[in-house]
Amino acid sequence: MNAADHPTPDRPTPGHPDGGAWAATGSGVEPEVAVSDREHQLALQELDSDDVALLAAVRALYDETDPVPVGLVDRIRFELTLDALHAEVATLTQLDLEAAGARGAATEAVRTITFTSESLTTMVTLTAQEDGAVRVDGWAAPGAGVRVEVRLATETRETTADEDGRFVFEDLPSGRTRFALYLPGTDPPTTVVSPTVEL
Amino acid sequence: MTGGTTEESLAARAGRLFAEYRSGDPDKMADLVQILTPILWHTARATRLDAAAAEDVLQTVWLSLVRKADTILEPVAVLQWLVISTKRESWRVARGQAKTRPEDMEVTGTADHEATETVEDEVLRSDTQRRLWAHIEQLPERCRALLRVIAFSDRPDYAELAKALGMPQGSIGPTRGRCLAKLRVALAQDPTWELR
Repeated sequence: MNAADHPTPDRPTPGHPDGGAWAATGSGVEPEVAVSDREHQLALQELDSDDVALLAAVRALYDETDPVPVGLVDRIRFELTLDALHAEVATLTQLDLEAAGARGAATEAVRTITFTSESLTTMVTLTAQEDGAVRVDGWAAPGAGVRVEVRLATETRETTADEDGRFVFEDLPSGRTRFALYLPGTDPPTTVVSPTVEL
Repeated sequence: MTGGTTEESLAARAGRLFAEYRSGDPDKMADLVQILTPILWHTARATRLDAAAAEDVLQTVWLSLVRKADTILEPVAVLQWLVISTKRESWRVARGQAKTRPEDMEVTGTADHEATETVEDEVLRSDTQRRLWAHIEQLPERCRALLRVIAFSDRPDYAELAKALGMPQGSIGPTRGRCLAKLRVALAQDPTWELR
């Protein structure tokens, strides 16, 4: 479909009803008089299939150069769910970093993060595994039977804390994440969400 | 993708989901987020916000929809409401990001713009896409933004969306409007242009 070879049928052009309104837009381009007339003529015609195809191409262009970030829809939905549950947003109360002793050939870095909200205090220890993934050992108080979610970019993993409030996640990919903790006993459950944590 | 006479337009589909949500089906909000996040993403990015700021804008706008759901009179207006809210919040954030000197906002915009250009060099594989991109870049800012947003909607929605973006009446709708006409003229004058 070549736009230059596709003659747009001439229509009687009415007066210039939108001339005043368009003056305000100020294109910053200085068109020749002939171009301006052509443009005006095209502007007043109805959309045709070439326009539809052109806009589809524009859409594809922006889809490729600036796509919606992976996981954004899920992150938005998660925020809305938390909002609906009146989730407590926990605040970071402690952050410790220590180098653990050598295990095998590698020295591992261990971070312990503590976050607190009205209903729950949670401590998670993040340990780098040999393969680059991360292990999480968590402890929530009072955390017996708390359901814990860790929200990753493309999936959500879930586990349940034992009667001591302890829980484990293995083989988590590194990156930013949040934990969501759902306390048993009420419907809907009391919900606590951690600050964003870097695995 | 682009609406025909037998398909629901994006606004109509969104209106139906929103009406169902308000009637007591909370799961419909998740569907609404799914179908409208693309157009809102591009609405925010068309104001030159960086990706992190645009994400924050969308989070804020969706939360505000949940809060103010009952204030929207007609369900079918929800798309327009969201686009207007996204535009306003984007500008509010962009102003907040600007340093004390007004010209700094231009600098930020240019930097982001240039970053996008180098990305597109790698990303746009076809000649057609590169040419189209070059012609779009030549359009006035407001036209670029308008075409970017309506490209993610359907034809029956164009007129309302142009209004939501603050374009004069007649910007697009049943008629082609000045922005699309500009692009058509530019493409017609490019002897190498061909839409395959």
